[in-house]
Amino acid sequence: MRRPLIILLVAALLLVLGLVYYALDPSSSTLFPRCTFLSLTGYKCPGCGSQRAVHALLHGDLAGAFRYNALLLIAIPWIALCLYAESRRTRNPRLYARLNAPLLIWLFLAMVLIWWLLRNIFNW
Amino acid sequence: MQYWINHNGVQSGPVDLDALKQMGLTSDAYVWHEGLSDWVKITQLPELQGLYEMTEAVAEVSQAGPVTAGQPITEFAQEASVENNPVAPVEQPQAPAGQPYQQQPYQAPQPQYAGPQPDEAEPCPPTNLVWAIISTVLCCLPTGIVAIIYATKVTNKYRMGDIEGAKRDSETGAWWCIASIVLGIICQPLVSALPVWLASMR
Repeated sequence: MRRPLIILLVAALLLVLGLVYYALDPSSSTLFPRCTFLSLTGYKCPGCGSQRAVHALLHGDLAGAFRYNALLLIAIPWIALCLYAESRRTRNPRLYARLNAPLLIWLFLAMVLIWWLLRNIFNW
Repeated sequence: MQYWINHNGVQSGPVDLDALKQMGLTSDAYVWHEGLSDWVKITQLPELQGLYEMTEAVAEVSQAGPVTAGQPITEFAQEASVENNPVAPVEQPQAPAGQPYQQQPYQAPQPQYAGPQPDEAEPCPPTNLVWAIISTVLCCLPTGIVAIIYATKVTNKYRMGDIEGAKRDSETGAWWCIASIVLGIICQPLVSALPVWLASMR
């Protein structure tokens, strides 16, 4: 009984957030939070540009989303697959174990760190 | 009570308690009956305690001991099966050996499909990987990276058979995910809104 309620709440939250990010442009509106890491250090964090990327994505602008935050665009299919595996963890433990292989997780972590480094060097 | 058995990768059942005692199960067998959510090791059911110990002792004696030591035990086993035979014909028509899963009188979801293999009896504890990734990509905090590292620890410990350790790391990782999502979604907007506020106060 608890699980459907949580799923419903998350879906409602996502819908509201989706509408907000569709209607308002984070690059011109002052409503959206700015990255603390960027304002404190002057360097971009791995997630910088995610809000603008989501806005672009909701408007069907894949190239724009990639420009704002390439990591987010790459991570979305991966996150969707992981969420699916997570929801079927007890029924399909093999898929879950495969997706959660330490090698894959380390590769993802390495990708995040390299992306962090490169985007500050080349100002992506 | 009817039992289903998964022993050395071979499934059988349903059988009643008396028939189960005749099967010569060892402590690595898995058992399921109505009311259990999943297969459990035979050692975890109190009513079956001692049963596998006896069969294991018999196996050890008959392997190690000479033929003379083995004979009384087989005789005993034969006697026992003869004693229990009057019960068996009553039970057997309900569960023909050819199609054991077709005639279940009640819902038994687990034994209907192949059933989890014994090595999957305990699924891997949640690694929280998704939440770690989401909090790293969206909240951009080092706490998300800690959560990712905990995800690897969960899988590593689970694969080494350390279920308890995996569960502990799973819980710790979950707290790191919660911390990074709370910090990222609640604290970060506050911090970024503070300069705007201060400017408007002047």
